Amino acid sequence: MRALASEESDRSLESLESRSRSSSAESPTEDRPIAVDLADVTKRYAETTAVDDVSLSVREGEFFTLVGPSGCGKTTTLRLIAGFESPTDGTVRFHGEDVTGVPPEERDVGVVFQNYALFPHMSVGENVAYGLNFADPPGGVSDDERVRELLELVDLEGMQDREPDRLSGGQQQRVAIARALAPGPDVLLLDEPMSALDAQLRERLRIQVKGIQKELGITTIYVTHDQEEALAISDRVAVMRAGAPEQVAPPREIYRRPETRFVAEFVGDNNVFEGTVRSLEERANGGRRAELEVGPETFAVDLAREAAVGDAVTFCVRPENLQVSANEAGSSERNATTATVRSAEFLGETTRVHLEWHGQELLVRTRDPLSGDVAVGFEAEDAHVVAIDRTV
Amino acid sequence: MNDRPDPKADGGATTPVDVPASGSDPEDPRAEDEPTGRRNARGIRNRLERRAIALFGLGTILLLVVLFYYPVATVFVEAVVVEGAVTLAVFLELLRDPFYFGDVARLFAGESPLAVASDLLSSDRRIGIVGFTAYQAFLSTLLSVALGVPAAYVLARYEFRGRRTLRSLTVLPFVLPSIMVAVGFVATFGENGTLNRALGLVGLGPIELMFTLEAILIAHAFYNAPLVARVTTAAWESVDASAIETARSLGASPFRAFRDIVAPQLYPAVLMGAALTFVFTFGTFPIVLALGGFELATVEVFVYRLIQDLNYAEAAALAIVELVITLGILYGYLRYEANHVVRSRGVRPLPRRPLSPPSLSLRELVPRAGIAIYAAVALVVFVSPIVSMLYASVAGPNGLTLDHYRFLIDRQQTAAAFQVRPWPAIRNSLLFAAGALALALPMGVVVSVLTTRRYRGRKLVDAVAMAPLAVSGIIVGIGLLRGPVFGIELAGWQITMGGAAAIVAAHAVSCYPFVVRTVAPGLESVDRSLVESARALGASRARALYDVELPLVWPGVVAGAAFVVAISMGEFSSTVILATGTDQYTMPVAIERFIGRRLGPATAMGVVLLVVTSISFVIIDRLGGESFGI
Repeated sequence: MRALASEESDRSLESLESRSRSSSAESPTEDRPIAVDLADVTKRYAETTAVDDVSLSVREGEFFTLVGPSGCGKTTTLRLIAGFESPTDGTVRFHGEDVTGVPPEERDVGVVFQNYALFPHMSVGENVAYGLNFADPPGGVSDDERVRELLELVDLEGMQDREPDRLSGGQQQRVAIARALAPGPDVLLLDEPMSALDAQLRERLRIQVKGIQKELGITTIYVTHDQEEALAISDRVAVMRAGAPEQVAPPREIYRRPETRFVAEFVGDNNVFEGTVRSLEERANGGRRAELEVGPETFAVDLAREAAVGDAVTFCVRPENLQVSANEAGSSERNATTATVRSAEFLGETTRVHLEWHGQELLVRTRDPLSGDVAVGFEAEDAHVVAIDRTV
Repeated sequence: MNDRPDPKADGGATTPVDVPASGSDPEDPRAEDEPTGRRNARGIRNRLERRAIALFGLGTILLLVVLFYYPVATVFVEAVVVEGAVTLAVFLELLRDPFYFGDVARLFAGESPLAVASDLLSSDRRIGIVGFTAYQAFLSTLLSVALGVPAAYVLARYEFRGRRTLRSLTVLPFVLPSIMVAVGFVATFGENGTLNRALGLVGLGPIELMFTLEAILIAHAFYNAPLVARVTTAAWESVDASAIETARSLGASPFRAFRDIVAPQLYPAVLMGAALTFVFTFGTFPIVLALGGFELATVEVFVYRLIQDLNYAEAAALAIVELVITLGILYGYLRYEANHVVRSRGVRPLPRRPLSPPSLSLRELVPRAGIAIYAAVALVVFVSPIVSMLYASVAGPNGLTLDHYRFLIDRQQTAAAFQVRPWPAIRNSLLFAAGALALALPMGVVVSVLTTRRYRGRKLVDAVAMAPLAVSGIIVGIGLLRGPVFGIELAGWQITMGGAAAIVAAHAVSCYPFVVRTVAPGLESVDRSLVESARALGASRARALYDVELPLVWPGVVAGAAFVVAISMGEFSSTVILATGTDQYTMPVAIERFIGRRLGPATAMGVVLLVVTSISFVIIDRLGGESFGI
């Protein structure tokens, strides 16, 4: 995923790359040393606990994303890492070294804010060069050269003398990224950097940010409320809720195997069912298949965990795994039922249809328009169990 | 599935939605105190820089203690310590003295409240000096509101040439020296003043306004009506037109819409103007001294008189009574403000009507006729004093003359030792203003930084730093005189402060809150993430202030500096006390000495002062007229 098409930019990237911490940007990150580590970190304010006993590790060169709804503590977590806030409890470590209480200017971090936060009284070049007042540019180049390099990196070559407020939102944000990278920080922290941009620009910039991160191999921690963005850009994602991560995993795993109902519903569209175990059947491959009573229906679902008859089970089926057909007689498949079309949203390549099924809303995706009563079904393997509530 | 948390709900949310507004503080003291692990090598300079703000803050507090709290405390101690013993006798005597408290004093003396109340309601009631002070303050407030609100109506609702200029002129009274205004009033309303001459021309007999309550009230309105107009205009301009349009579309008549939508947003502003006016006029000094004399003495004038009689204990007790009343009103107002003031910026302000009527219908003409009448009154109250002073300075028995200015020059050469000479007054005023500026500007900036960050105890710092606004100049003056100027014994050392230094100190202490008022709102509005970006890039807190915040609030700093110069130039209360019997007098003090005997030279001196303060006004207006929070 190369962000920059021009040859010139690529050449400058090579020079940057050769100086960067990890030259092998393509290798997986699991075996790398830990760059940023939070241990039992809590941040309490007068009335609220913004961050509640969080432990996280981010590896060198990793693109790590904190995602969650507003108020979940993701921004506070980032600010604790940057040093803008001090934790009430717990320890923040950079490369194993305790930096709790170290002010931000001594932490070697680059920070990019949602509102760009460019210094309005300085030109683009002065903004990018500001950090070089306090640190020599990496690689022994002059300050001017470094500024030029970084403006090329973000596709803004020759913009040194512009006033920041004459630039578009996307350009301003790229200046902010260049400014954060100029002193060669150890960790790049981005706090909802795309939220103020329109949708198309957001997607372009996100590809560019990911490209830069890969080229430099810089450890990056990214905060967003947009789960789609989180999935698209990250090596690993922490889905946060009420001050703590609910699940930390690579994007595919977050999407396919959410560990909690919250994650299942927050990331992508999902259909969540609650049922009671009627009977259990051991399978040849060691798994279990359960007959669940869900409302008036009975569904077969694969269980990966221990369960007993009478347990309450919460499982989910992604809309793309719900088969739907206009033939209301129902298919011969096992988990088949009928639902009524309530509304449909035409999204272009597909249509999202809202169905009503025993007082509950179901989401399905179709190509063809649907109306009236429809047949719905799903494969037992496509049901993913997020919770088993043991009654006994 | 309806309860699926919608990520879009957060869409476009501004920066730290996750951070509760309270208590989030990048400047946590712990963060400053703990030694760093990794980058210790950056040296001592860096560490000093890290603590620069704390050091400057400590320095400011130290200055405040030496130049304000200690001297003021020595004055107040006199009220409760008599011959080495703590006693409330002075207070009790004061409270029971009908001379000060009128019939209310008998309440403190133990008489039945019913008897006192009935006497107070009878026609031969006595209200005493405190009662009179409150009475004139109340009337001054009514008059200021009566003159200020129509001005706000015109400024907020009509469009005409010079509207912006007029609007920014409402800040002028803040920088006009009160003694100069008094000279202007004498020149207007005095026996041979402009008003009586004008009346004489049309065959009306002379009226005697000098040394009457009316003169004082008009002078107070001159000062405070613009303040009321200023805050009310701001509130009116922030009314959102779409709120009124919504009300109208729901069936409200224009009057009903005004009553339900506009008026509730104006009350708090009018009340704020009224509360400040009452506090200012309750503590009035030079105006009453010059226009009322001792016959119409207010508390502050009487404190001055007691000090001249060397009766410090009673003066201090009276000053404390005054302070308690003033602070009580301010506190009451602030409590109200906390609950009632809605600070909303009108997305779309109300459209302004043209001042010249678009048609000759009754509906268009009636309000404009009212405005014309108001304009005539405003001309007399606000413009004539200044014009009269300018005129009187060049008026002689036989037409225009420069005699009064020539007199000032002659006096410079021929004055006896006890007489006031003009040049030292001008030189002292300039020197003291420069000194006050050098002290007040850094103090004001540091206090602005300390009061716009969030941390525990900020309110205390705020109160400690802004207290000089509430304590009268006379008390500061007498405290400095009896403390540092006469000499303080400290660990066997006799420390004394020159009179000039004391005047500079008094001016700096009374001026720097205005720097805070012009700088702090700007600092408050600087996006926090700008500072955080600078710090993440390696700048210390002090460096971020210097590189990022100060350049952005520079107009506020310059406007604050102009305030300092103007107010220091016009300061009278503390200067008159510290300059008594010395050659450290300033222009206002010189004017006061001239005013009783020779009006001409007083007006000439007043014009010199007017020129200097007008320059300050232009600077304030050009650089930060809209931004400061006064």
